[in-house]
Amino acid sequence: MNGKDNIEEFLRSNKPQLKDDPTFLLETNRRLKQVEGIKAEVDRQRTYGRMALIVTLVLGIVIGAAAVIIGYICPVDPDKLNQGALNGIIVFLTTWKEYFLILAAALSVSLSYILSRTRKAAF
Amino acid sequence: MTRERFIELIRTEQEPLRRFLLGLCSGNQSMADDIAQDALVRAYVASGSFLGLSKFSTWLFRIAYNCFIDHCRKSTLDTVSSESYEAQSVLSDDTTDDVFRYQQLYQALDRIPDKERAAIVLHYFEDHDIKEISSIMQIPSGTVKYLLSIGRNHLKEDLSL
Repeated sequence: MNGKDNIEEFLRSNKPQLKDDPTFLLETNRRLKQVEGIKAEVDRQRTYGRMALIVTLVLGIVIGAAAVIIGYICPVDPDKLNQGALNGIIVFLTTWKEYFLILAAALSVSLSYILSRTRKAAF
Repeated sequence: MTRERFIELIRTEQEPLRRFLLGLCSGNQSMADDIAQDALVRAYVASGSFLGLSKFSTWLFRIAYNCFIDHCRKSTLDTVSSESYEAQSVLSDDTTDDVFRYQQLYQALDRIPDKERAAIVLHYFEDHDIKEISSIMQIPSGTVKYLLSIGRNHLKEDLSL
């Protein structure tokens, strides 16, 4: 019997024997359930994002179309607007611009805080 | 693939898979089981990409082997030496009878390179043929034969057979 046969015989006769571990499959099942949960959450977020995109797109089209229709139905006289309403709006915004900026900043901070809280809670 | 179907498939494959990883981890059962769990989760996530072109077991073993390679890379980064694994393999398990029984073999396996060990374990412990080992390790058949040959020589010298 040569060296190759010896080592082959040794290896084949010393196959490691595993301890029977019933918890292994239970643990695997538990981990797979967790993966399923994450998968479902990712799918839900993806669907939510897609829906939001579609709604935004549809709203944009509808509002744009409505603006065009209103523009055709009730044409605005540019001279009248320049002298009256538009100037009034510009003066109003210029007067209160600091408050508008503070309000916008407060709204964006609050919105980002709420969105970050919601995402953490979801996962 | 549903979770129930996947569990059914791995019910028969989990033992050979764990034994393969036990050999690769040189007898460290807890480490082998950790990698096996990781591999099964990865396999489940990727189960949609299994087209049935190879055997399910071959596909599963390939994932497990890649997990083992990743684990080794991480361990190298964490600067954990092979000696500490060896020590863990003897000390960490509750029932060490099996470990002591195969200690000589595991220590010899631990001293040969990972690729040689993988080829030896797949061929002699799991009875995979050269073609299957080539598919699992993603290397040419000639390289598998070479790894088996030098692996045998290294073990023969180490075990004084």
